[in-house]
Amino acid sequence: MSTGTAPQGRTYVLGQFPTGAALVKACRQVREKGFTDVDTHSPYPLHGGDEALGLKRSVVPKVALAGALTGMFGGMAMMVWMNGINWPMNVGGRPPISPLSYIPITFETTVLLTSLSIFFGLLIMMRLPQPYHAVFELEAFRSAVTDGFWLSVAQAPGSDGKEAVRELESVGATQVSVVKESLE
Amino acid sequence: MSEVSLAQIEKDTVATMSETTWRYWLALGIALSLVALGGWAWSVALRQGLGITGLNEPVMWGALITTFVFFIGVSHSGTLVSAILFFTRSPLRAAIGRSAEAMTVFTIMTAGLYPIVHIGRSWLFFFVLPYPNQRQLWMNFRSPLTWDVFAITSYVTVSMLFLYMGMLPDLALLARQVKSWRRPLYRVLSLGFSGTDGEWRIFEKAYPIFAGVVIPLAVSVHSVVSWDFAMTVMPGWHSAIFAPYFVAGAIFSGIAVAVLLLSGLRRGYHLERYITPKHFDMLAKLLLAMSLVMTFVYATEFFMAFYRGSKAEMEVFRWRATGTYAPVFWGVVISNSVAPLALFWSRARNHLPTLITISVLVTVGMWFERFLFIVTTLARSFVSQNWGNYIPSWKESFICLGGFGWFLMLFLIFIKLFPCMAISESMQSQHAVDAAVTPEASHA
Repeated sequence: MSTGTAPQGRTYVLGQFPTGAALVKACRQVREKGFTDVDTHSPYPLHGGDEALGLKRSVVPKVALAGALTGMFGGMAMMVWMNGINWPMNVGGRPPISPLSYIPITFETTVLLTSLSIFFGLLIMMRLPQPYHAVFELEAFRSAVTDGFWLSVAQAPGSDGKEAVRELESVGATQVSVVKESLE
Repeated sequence: MSEVSLAQIEKDTVATMSETTWRYWLALGIALSLVALGGWAWSVALRQGLGITGLNEPVMWGALITTFVFFIGVSHSGTLVSAILFFTRSPLRAAIGRSAEAMTVFTIMTAGLYPIVHIGRSWLFFFVLPYPNQRQLWMNFRSPLTWDVFAITSYVTVSMLFLYMGMLPDLALLARQVKSWRRPLYRVLSLGFSGTDGEWRIFEKAYPIFAGVVIPLAVSVHSVVSWDFAMTVMPGWHSAIFAPYFVAGAIFSGIAVAVLLLSGLRRGYHLERYITPKHFDMLAKLLLAMSLVMTFVYATEFFMAFYRGSKAEMEVFRWRATGTYAPVFWGVVISNSVAPLALFWSRARNHLPTLITISVLVTVGMWFERFLFIVTTLARSFVSQNWGNYIPSWKESFICLGGFGWFLMLFLIFIKLFPCMAISESMQSQHAVDAAVTPEASHA
């Protein structure tokens, strides 16, 4: 924002729908009209919503596998290096590198790293923590966590959102509001 | 739960956090008193050394290690049960899953204290961690005690993340619905989760993997604890059955404690609509099944001791049932193997006071069962010149009681700060019910 004018936040048009099914249907219709930055907000997962939103195959299992492999090889390597190479330790004449007795800890590090990678991967993929989102400016939007089904359409900064309002009304939104993103 | 409206679910859950009755203060008072008593006794142990306990040659592991094993055991019915209920798509999970997961986290946090108390110079506990220290020495990774350190730290970390992750949608809900000083707390903890489809999709994908990882982890943790004993050559410990035996005992004691906590929650917060007699009936059946498994394990242990023909082992088992600790042994048999048989009758299963009595017996019985197998082996090992009995000292018993207070205190604080039922999941099942009834208008 190098221009002299005050920077403006994006405009969000929010529409409420009576049911999850209506929301999914509306979402599909709105996307077909060419609105790209569309998001649904619902108190529980909507099935059939992802293809309406055009989301791709989840990478979560791959993240989990990457964590598991890191934990497995990392755990084993740690023990081999510490007990066998860095400070070879003779306990009762057993070989310094005794992989069989390392298996329990390898298992634990595998599980630990899998869980940590899922958890932190989840936060990164969800773009959390997200301290501010314009949709929370709207008081009625509070219902999105209990029984409201909302569709949000993001518009370019400075837009008055009229077009999106009309579109949402035409696909059956019971209530439509426009909120401006605050940049403070 | 289909007859309960969404608003009611939310209201009742929020009430568990905001309404505080005299029962709550009484329970918290008892918990804090026990913590103070245990803390004082531990402070004496720190200042004067482990000489204040009853531990001495030959019994160097006693009540403190017993309490450690006991609490690790109790933790198993939390996350494990919650994860299993998740995979079986059980409607029970929304009501009891959260408290069970919290129970796991707090029991491990309690259990973890006891090895630290037991090492005497507790401030040196970090010696068990692999870090580049001034002694330039790593720990011995072949030792089951080191396995245990890894198992328990992994277990507590994973259980906490599992609890937190499952709670994320509820925290987002509360951040919008609750007023007062709580709102900033939930806003920060909910991390800005706004229920977008992208978020739900990742959540729905990640949660089952997490739950799937938790199940083998829980099983591995108590197996590793059992190897602390079974990897030695001590008579009565050196046995291949120990890992499954410990896991079964863990689930057994965990269910008993879960019954006690749930009945307390239900009574204290009038959650009769959510925690129903059906829940208790199912827990009672599970308790009965695990009791039968335990009886089988006890019998197998005795059979193997005499079948194998090791004199030292035969002596340990003969002495366990007839010697100094025989009253403890028969008490354990009555509370763990005989008393739960009453649950064969549906009247006993559906009569809450009976179920609570049996659960208390099982909880106490499982503590003494661990005490028994730890102490009798050490007191009666290979060399008869090295035999000797052990009785916990008063201060040692206070430290153990302090753990019960500590666990209860953490749990009570938790239910004040966080929803003890999964509101979001209840809504999901509620919406599913509504949608099945009226496909077009899925909320009333």
